[in-house]
Amino acid sequence: MKLSAIRPIALVLSRELMLTALLLLGVSFVVFIILYLSPGDPFSVLLEGQSSAEARAGIREALGVPRSWYAQYLSWLTGMLQGNFGTSIRTGLPVLTEVLRVGLNTLILTIGSMLVTLLIAVPIALYSAVRGTNKISWPLTMFAYVISALPVFWFGYIVLYVFMHKFGIFPLAFGSSSGQKYAWLYALLPIFVLGVGNGTISEVIRSLRAEMGRVMAEDYIRTAKAKGAAVWKHSFKEGLLIPVTEIIAAKIPFILGGAVIVEQVFNWPGMGRMAWQAAQDRDYPVIMGIAILSAVFVRMGSLFQSVVYVAVNPRASKE
Amino acid sequence: MKSYTQISGEIGEFSDLPFWKKADLVDLAYVGYGLLIVTLVVASYILGSFNLLPRDPQDLDLELMMAPPGTAGHALGTDFMGRDMLSRLIVGIQAYFLPGLLAIGIALLFGTVLGVVTGYRGGKFDTAITYFTNLVDSFPRLVLILLVVAAFKPSIYYIMLVVGLTNVPVVASLIKGKILFLKQKNFIEADTALGLPTRTIILKHILWHNCRTLLIIQATLGMAEAILMETSLSYLGFGVQEPTPSWGNMVQAGANYFMQGKFWPSTAPALAILFTILGFHLLGDGLNNILEGKRGA
Amino acid sequence: MTIAPLLKIEDLRTYFYSRSKQAFIRSVDGVTVDVARGETLGVVGESGSGKSITALSVMGLISGGPGVISGKVGFKTDTVQKNLLHDLASYVTLTKKDGRIMNASKDLVGWEKNVERTMKGVRGKEIAMIFQNPKSSLNPFIPVGKQITEAIQLHTAIKSDQEAKDRALYWLDRVKIDSPRLRFDNYPYGLSGGMCQRAMIAMALASEPSLLIADEPTTGLDATIQSKIVDLLAELKSEFGITTMLISHDISIISRLSDSVAVMYGGTIVEYGPARDILAQEFKDKHPYAEALLASIPTTENIKEKGYLQAITGDVLDTINTPPGCRFYGRCHCVTDAIREKCAYKEPDLREIAPGHKVRCWLYFD
Repeated sequence: MKLSAIRPIALVLSRELMLTALLLLGVSFVVFIILYLSPGDPFSVLLEGQSSAEARAGIREALGVPRSWYAQYLSWLTGMLQGNFGTSIRTGLPVLTEVLRVGLNTLILTIGSMLVTLLIAVPIALYSAVRGTNKISWPLTMFAYVISALPVFWFGYIVLYVFMHKFGIFPLAFGSSSGQKYAWLYALLPIFVLGVGNGTISEVIRSLRAEMGRVMAEDYIRTAKAKGAAVWKHSFKEGLLIPVTEIIAAKIPFILGGAVIVEQVFNWPGMGRMAWQAAQDRDYPVIMGIAILSAVFVRMGSLFQSVVYVAVNPRASKE
Repeated sequence: MKSYTQISGEIGEFSDLPFWKKADLVDLAYVGYGLLIVTLVVASYILGSFNLLPRDPQDLDLELMMAPPGTAGHALGTDFMGRDMLSRLIVGIQAYFLPGLLAIGIALLFGTVLGVVTGYRGGKFDTAITYFTNLVDSFPRLVLILLVVAAFKPSIYYIMLVVGLTNVPVVASLIKGKILFLKQKNFIEADTALGLPTRTIILKHILWHNCRTLLIIQATLGMAEAILMETSLSYLGFGVQEPTPSWGNMVQAGANYFMQGKFWPSTAPALAILFTILGFHLLGDGLNNILEGKRGA
Repeated sequence: MTIAPLLKIEDLRTYFYSRSKQAFIRSVDGVTVDVARGETLGVVGESGSGKSITALSVMGLISGGPGVISGKVGFKTDTVQKNLLHDLASYVTLTKKDGRIMNASKDLVGWEKNVERTMKGVRGKEIAMIFQNPKSSLNPFIPVGKQITEAIQLHTAIKSDQEAKDRALYWLDRVKIDSPRLRFDNYPYGLSGGMCQRAMIAMALASEPSLLIADEPTTGLDATIQSKIVDLLAELKSEFGITTMLISHDISIISRLSDSVAVMYGGTIVEYGPARDILAQEFKDKHPYAEALLASIPTTENIKEKGYLQAITGDVLDTINTPPGCRFYGRCHCVTDAIREKCAYKEPDLREIAPGHKVRCWLYFD
């Protein structure tokens, strides 16, 4: 790639990274405020994990004299910036390592599900954008509406049931079904279920279809037709690539939310399941770590989108 | 006078006749189905709140557990404790109806105020709104709700507060877009030139005449989300708790029997969720297609 | 004149179904015209008269919608000979009631496939087209030079990238784009409207087509740029002698470039003939509409003669309920008592009143 092409990307990357930093600061603040307002004193629990002696002294002080909220926030924030997210109340292990360990599983689940969603939505959207509503595309659209309204937990049961009875594989914890014949298939189930049942497919289809339709009506597509060129070559970037990356960035939070349920149904050892467990145990440090890590995931998605947009769109660097 | 591009635009606008006719019918069918669901939900809510139920939803009948639909005295069968499914489904609406309205109210009220302020003033407000939107979008909603649940207590009203607040930016950006559009068309300028007070312009001309349908559509879609969140959270055990029925905890409670091949106790509430959310989605999209003139389906 | 014309449009009709009005809009309603080899045919008429739709119908670019096209478009070069509307009618089912078309349904997939099949090797290669609004007509995501090399590699014998680039640079130079090497890598957003139109022209000519359709090539450009583009087109015309169908509402552009002229009104051609006759003020055997068009040009003579600028009164024709008689009857100032009856109730045909000159007006018929 030429230098001239890299410069705008670097620019956008730095701008997005700054925005990400600002947003993560905001995220941490929101998390803090929620816990600060909550009854009880979650922060005394939080600060127990602080390793340094000074911090511990600070807590002891705090037990006597209540510290101001911003002092608490700042000390928590500095702790986090040093990689100290506290320790889990339930397991006593450091939150950061715990959350990162399961975060990878959730990342796999999220990316996989996103692919499944796109594999279903893109063909339907393309077909109905090109052909309009007809005997084939209308039932497909309706089908998308129905699966978008499907409660994902119940859909998970159906898939599990079918799997159990068809393949004789029982829903064991992720990875532990390894001696069995179709074990790898079992790992794919939650990905499939979340990809189909995350509730966004009909919306994804509609927005992709609208974008594609808009682009197909552009003057430059008419020019491409008039010169006998392949239309998809000319419409691909604006009609498909950009909207798809936008969808990916916009839907990551929804899929992460769905992951909480799907991981529960399938015993998938990810962040969602950990968040569920933590919410049951009121294990604040863990759930805070998860909130922040999932915000990082979301920002990564939008970073990816911005980079693709700038790389593809020559005008973007001028905007 | 039609210029070339306008004509070619029309070519796109008119499409093959039967499909357009069909598409219109499709939208009408969407809205019709949606209204049917809304009526059913509201009627069931009223029945439930006056306790006008076929049976007592808490009445155990250990003789008649997991009866299939159509059993005498239990039109939709019974659950794993022999409680009447139909009654429990009707009462289950109590779990989300008022909380859902609360979520919608919060989203519409704050969203409208924020949208009007940013659309009207722009500048710094706009930057602030963009930041706020990005901030809200950075949280997966379910994770945020779990955080709130962990910090406070598992209450449906806390959950709906979060649902409502996280929908504020959506409504705000729609209202803002509408105002910017009106500004571009010089409607607002014309109003100001007429000497109308700002209050009249905003309340009557902008909100009532131009944002009414948009707000209705957002309300329907908001209800769909509220139902989804309530059922999800109740399924996870953080929403409405047994023995009070909610569609979510009914699915969860029936799940143990699902693997044994006894589908009905969790399938009935799941279908209720499916058809209801579908109804609100179709109502919103159908109205959008018809009233706002956008083709989606 | 025994050489067969390059493009022979016969009774072309393009209707669009308007769902809101429950009726057909007859955008093009029976156009018959030839484009002879080497000549430039100017098609002139007010907005909505069907000029552009005629061009789009010829190119098969009316496809997605409910457009119903009938007629025949013969295209004949030394190597290619086909009817560009071949077989299209078989993809449309018309429901008629009381002699009126009530409903039209189209097998969209079959229609489009058929168009693709027919137009393969014609679009771009034999007939190239340039459009109005050049800035939006170039692909904003692809450098200008690449869009030209694409046309070259698709339609000419040049296949290698380097040769295609050289050729594209040659064409960019021919259309007088300064520093072509620099512009080659530019994206359309970096170019002015005039520059984009030059690039469009270069792209169209680069594939060495037999026929160039220029659809309002100067609309959407600044006035000064317009005249420069017209200069360029005139220069290219004298240099290459490419057969051109030039569509414009601007009669001054038409008069500058055309050999023969077709005047369109309400979806049909009301007058056709050599440019020098039709566009000459002193030539009197004209269709009243063409006369009114000429009178509305802001030239010094026009203004001196009348003291004001003559506008054509009345509205554009309602193309849904076309009147039974002459389409221009409602706005015509030349109706005499002798022919009033005919004008109102019987549509005149396009009749030759002098060699090569056809008019659709009862005034000139006996």
